[in-house]
Amino acid sequence: MIYLDNSATTYPKPPAVGQAVSQALRQFGANPGRGGFAMSMRTGQAVYQCRETAARLFGAPGPECVVFQPSCTQALNLVMKGCLQPGDHVVVSDMEHNAVMRPLAALKERGISFTAAAVTPGDSDATLQAFRGAMNSKTKLLVCTQASNVFGLRVPVERLAALCHQYGAKICVDAAQSAGVIPISLADSGIDYLCCAGHKGLFGPMGTGLLIFRDSGDKLATLVEGGTGTQSLSPLQPDDPPERYNPGTQNVPGILGLRAGMDFVLRQGPEKIYRDEMGKISYLYGRLAKLPQVELYTPPPQTPWFMPVLSFNVKGLPSEEVGSILARRDIAVRCGLHCAPAAHTKMGTRERGTVRVSPSIFTRREELDVLTRAVSAIAPGK
Amino acid sequence: MGKPVILLSSVTYAMKGRDLLFRRGIRAFVERIPPTSQSGCGYGLYVPQGVEEAESLLRENHIKILGRAEREAVP
Repeated sequence: MIYLDNSATTYPKPPAVGQAVSQALRQFGANPGRGGFAMSMRTGQAVYQCRETAARLFGAPGPECVVFQPSCTQALNLVMKGCLQPGDHVVVSDMEHNAVMRPLAALKERGISFTAAAVTPGDSDATLQAFRGAMNSKTKLLVCTQASNVFGLRVPVERLAALCHQYGAKICVDAAQSAGVIPISLADSGIDYLCCAGHKGLFGPMGTGLLIFRDSGDKLATLVEGGTGTQSLSPLQPDDPPERYNPGTQNVPGILGLRAGMDFVLRQGPEKIYRDEMGKISYLYGRLAKLPQVELYTPPPQTPWFMPVLSFNVKGLPSEEVGSILARRDIAVRCGLHCAPAAHTKMGTRERGTVRVSPSIFTRREELDVLTRAVSAIAPGK
Repeated sequence: MGKPVILLSSVTYAMKGRDLLFRRGIRAFVERIPPTSQSGCGYGLYVPQGVEEAESLLRENHIKILGRAEREAVP
């Protein structure tokens, strides 16, 4: 199989990830942060080391700022539902995933409003101006993706962080597509809440995600309450992160696998990963652009304006049909709306969707050549 | 004489505190603490020597201290 759906989840994982998961099941089988016996303490230490690794990778103040979540979606829900009150206003980009838009639709029922600001590809001044225009005195939170999961367009989140701090608001960044692929530092960027999928660019197992705080004193309302192994006489959830947001038994095999994935990213360096993947996506863009039956929707992907994600269509054919043809040739791509109807509306592809290609550091250029040949053999529809 | 144990709010802060003290040359060990009447069960740091200095360093580094216990020394 030629796997080109790394925006959905990365495959393959570095071998160390599987080994870490297996080791967790064999050697770290006790509940962390609960017992005082040796294996529980060792497991707690292993979980703590994963927090340390994430804090180092993302420039967070310390391991206490790293909260494990089952997904990026859950992390986004925790931030939005944990800090917004009736009457508050939110600004989002016009390319958001349903992981942002659906919670906001639910929050609208509770009197929380939002405005979508337009991202102008390749022009961060225009983008900034649009976001400034969308903010008002009730804006409490800006939530935006760091890069479109469909078209790879990047959003200047560092500049947006500065903007919303001027307004006394906070910024929550959906780093589902960017974590592990580009360097991100909470200390340098001003991002207040960073939400990451663990199983994409961080190469962890599915079922893992992270919420990382810039300030450990920043207290959100909880989505879930329960046992934390500490302060158990109190009927209330503890105040301090990360345990405040991590009730119940943690996903230790997933967490240890995630740590191995982040170690891989740290060894490679996000800069190198970004350069590598952008080289591949630019190469593919150049090949596809020569095929008369192919429709592309963005300018050639350039650093630093794009992430290594590319959408296309074959003229006259629904995207799902192209995906089926490629699947029969054992090429895995993602078709349809990618859970991001807003991005498709923006780019005029809401009706047909697109065929999305997303390589990883393990993708070989020869595999992109095979894809190009397979696409070139598809006759355009009527 | 019992073992001095600094009571902390979570296992994460206990481990963070332990590493911070080690970097300053103070040996500290994370231990499960028996339930107290104030907060219930939790984690603390056993500091064999220099517990006063250790507490001071933890506070300076914004690690919340819930209290101190003297635990029975286990032979």
